[in-house]
Amino acid sequence: MKLLKVNRLTKNFGGLKAVDKLDLSIQDGMILGLIGPNGAGKSTAFNCIAGLYPATSGQVIYKDDDITKLKSYDVCRKGIARTFQLSKPFPNKSVLKNVMVGGFLWSKDRNRAEAKALEVLEFVNLIDKRDVLGKSLTVADRKRLELARALATDPALLLLDEVMAGLRPPEVEEVITIIRKINERGITVFLIEHIMQAIMSLSDLIVVIHYGRKIAEGQPEEIASNEQVIKAYLGEEYVLAGN
Amino acid sequence: MENKGKRSPIRIVLPVLCILVLIVVPVIFRNPAFLQLMVLVLLYAYLTSSWNLVGGFAGVLPLGHTLFAGVGAYTSTLLFIELGLTPWIGMFVGALLAMVAGILIGLPTLKLRGAYFALSSIAFLEGMRVVTENTKVAFGVKINGPQGLLLPLKGNSLYYFQFDNKIWYYYIILIMTAIVLYITYKVSVSRLGYYLMAGGEDKEAAEALGVNVFRCKMIAMMMSTFLTAFGGTFYAQLVRYIYPRGIMNLEFAFEIAFIAIVGGRGTIAGPILGSFLLVPVAELTRIYLGGSYLGIHLAMYGLVLMLVMIFQPRGITEPLTKIYNNILDRFEGVRS
Amino acid sequence: MYLLEALITGVTMGSIYGLTALGLTLIFGVMKVINFAHGSFLMVAMFVTYWLIKLTGIDPYISLFVVVPVLFFLGFLTQRFLISPAFKGEKDVREPISVILLTSGLWIFLDAMALLLFGAFYRTVKTSHSGKTFVFGDGDLIINKTRLYGLIIALITSLILWFFLKKTRTGRAIRAVGQDRDAARLMGIDSDFIYDFTFGLGIALVGIAGVVLMPFYYVHPTVGVVFDIRAFIIVVLGGLGSIPGALIGGIIIGVVESVGAQFITATWTEGLIYLIFLLVLFFKPSGLFGYKQEW
Repeated sequence: MKLLKVNRLTKNFGGLKAVDKLDLSIQDGMILGLIGPNGAGKSTAFNCIAGLYPATSGQVIYKDDDITKLKSYDVCRKGIARTFQLSKPFPNKSVLKNVMVGGFLWSKDRNRAEAKALEVLEFVNLIDKRDVLGKSLTVADRKRLELARALATDPALLLLDEVMAGLRPPEVEEVITIIRKINERGITVFLIEHIMQAIMSLSDLIVVIHYGRKIAEGQPEEIASNEQVIKAYLGEEYVLAGN
Repeated sequence: MENKGKRSPIRIVLPVLCILVLIVVPVIFRNPAFLQLMVLVLLYAYLTSSWNLVGGFAGVLPLGHTLFAGVGAYTSTLLFIELGLTPWIGMFVGALLAMVAGILIGLPTLKLRGAYFALSSIAFLEGMRVVTENTKVAFGVKINGPQGLLLPLKGNSLYYFQFDNKIWYYYIILIMTAIVLYITYKVSVSRLGYYLMAGGEDKEAAEALGVNVFRCKMIAMMMSTFLTAFGGTFYAQLVRYIYPRGIMNLEFAFEIAFIAIVGGRGTIAGPILGSFLLVPVAELTRIYLGGSYLGIHLAMYGLVLMLVMIFQPRGITEPLTKIYNNILDRFEGVRS
Repeated sequence: MYLLEALITGVTMGSIYGLTALGLTLIFGVMKVINFAHGSFLMVAMFVTYWLIKLTGIDPYISLFVVVPVLFFLGFLTQRFLISPAFKGEKDVREPISVILLTSGLWIFLDAMALLLFGAFYRTVKTSHSGKTFVFGDGDLIINKTRLYGLIIALITSLILWFFLKKTRTGRAIRAVGQDRDAARLMGIDSDFIYDFTFGLGIALVGIAGVVLMPFYYVHPTVGVVFDIRAFIIVVLGGLGSIPGALIGGIIIGVVESVGAQFITATWTEGLIYLIFLLVLFFKPSGLFGYKQEW
């Protein structure tokens, strides 16, 4: 079942076409990776899907619902959760309280929200730091907090915006494991990443965009040897050299 | 609250003791000037706690909140004068009107950035004051412009919410304050409380978690304005004379905001602590020094505010709580 | 003819409102600081001018050379020792509300100290220019000299300020810091010093307004309050950080105030001004000349 369908999504900022008639679809249960050179429009596309930016044109369809014009809080209520590239913890509240905000989405009851939060913190291995204030967390912990908060809203689709950026290799490995666990639970994952080996090993399918347009789509092995992709990342010379 | 190991009974006894003192104090100290001061302190505690729902929990900065006290005061008073309606009912009408005003004002302003919201709240307050001052008669009802309204004196009457002995006022405002505190507490541990906190700390992150920040702020605004209006009616019944500059007063609105903030906005004890500390000092300096040193209590207010903003911008409740806990820990440690 | 005179009073008074707003829009625009103490500094400037004239009999417009540096200095110190620490104490919060409250505290403090030191008296000062007027067309049109001088000085100051910001190095540094404080620092600009300087400059401008007012206005510890509120309204109306906006916005407010008073009571014109302010805030928060920002 196609969980998310994006049709001809376009986002203009003044004269700049950040996202240009992007088409993509995500099957229920898969991990879809989105890659592209810097400035290709990945985060912008994400933000349009998540309801943070209004799209200039195009459609975002989630489970047969047109969610294109929905604000981010309504998008979340539909079952799509997201993390932010530059993590945004609630600085003056504890990790537990941070995650409880997500936990309150489906229940007004504080005890249930707390239970949910604790369960999620256990899952991402942040349970020991539950009383640490948001502003005192390390980068790696912040990323985990982003994940935990998003998971606490019980999403069916999780949008991860460069969740591994700034992490050291062992921390990256940990996040990869967590993402796999998340997917095993049945949550569809759509992630943007720059760390190639991570996204290649995680994704069932990869979409490559450049200048806001999709230039390739396929399995990770196909993408790695795709001429267009190599040209986009490294320039003409490398394509010729590869031949 | 986290249970740090054993909890000695003193942690429960002390607060209960404080409450008992508050209940018993006017019976023991019958000095009318003292009672007057305590009533004032509690009125500020009430108003600042009501303010705290918007100014503390919702994270916006209303500097014109006495507008809603004015709505409450004028409504209940006019109903009293024109229809003989007891202020006990009139104040609910006033609170409803204040809530409506809060919605109307909140709709365009709650989406503004902090500073702009603050400015707009001032503009609404001053604008409303100006309109009231310039209105002699509205819809056939005498408003009296700048002279204001004198409440018909009914002597000692529970039905008409007027008492000769200040002790009644004391207990009424004590109960009102207790109610507001309870409401504040309930909100702080509810979903609304968490959502408001989140929206105040990081709006985008909160919205990505499903929080409709605007709607939450609006709910807080409605609650706060509703409650503030009761304070306005109380004031009218206490002083028995209201006029635009007296109740819809910019300095008064600022004072409420300051006391709550110096005490600690967003905390439950903050406004109470702030009121109990600042109001007596201000009143006493005004009474004893105000004649020869006119303005000294204001200078003090300003100085305190500046110092707190530089050194403890989140208010004094946090550091005081730490000290309190330290003392109790030491005390418990000695005992074991 | 009353209407024409009202118009002229509105323009001259408005230009002085604009002059007050000039400092505020600079501070607000560059530093994003809401300086609620702005009116109090005006009051300070007026008192300094008052005492200077009273004690030395100096010509008010010469006193500019004393008052302006003094006010600059006061502003510089205020920003360095009061506002900057408050800013820093609040790094984690998105909206610098502490600073609003700090400047509010300063406002209360300054006004109260003035009350304490000088008492609640309305003071005016007689200068060699007092009561002199320009008469046009056989008494058809009479303009107070002091008000006209105010207008001229306001215009000249605006021009000099505009020139300073556009063409000088410091001016450009200020504009850079206003756009992006950290980027400016990376470019080698001492952002902290620029902040101190800009605030000082803003208060110095208020100093000019104070000098210009003293010859025909009264001074009193709370004289700044009305000007303070007007200044904020003008800053929003004219557009944050815009010099022509401050001046033109000021004149608009001055004219509404003056001409309005011909038709409705003075207090209703005040209400009208608040209404204009709210409408601008709701429908065009960037003001007449401001940049489009996400408010």
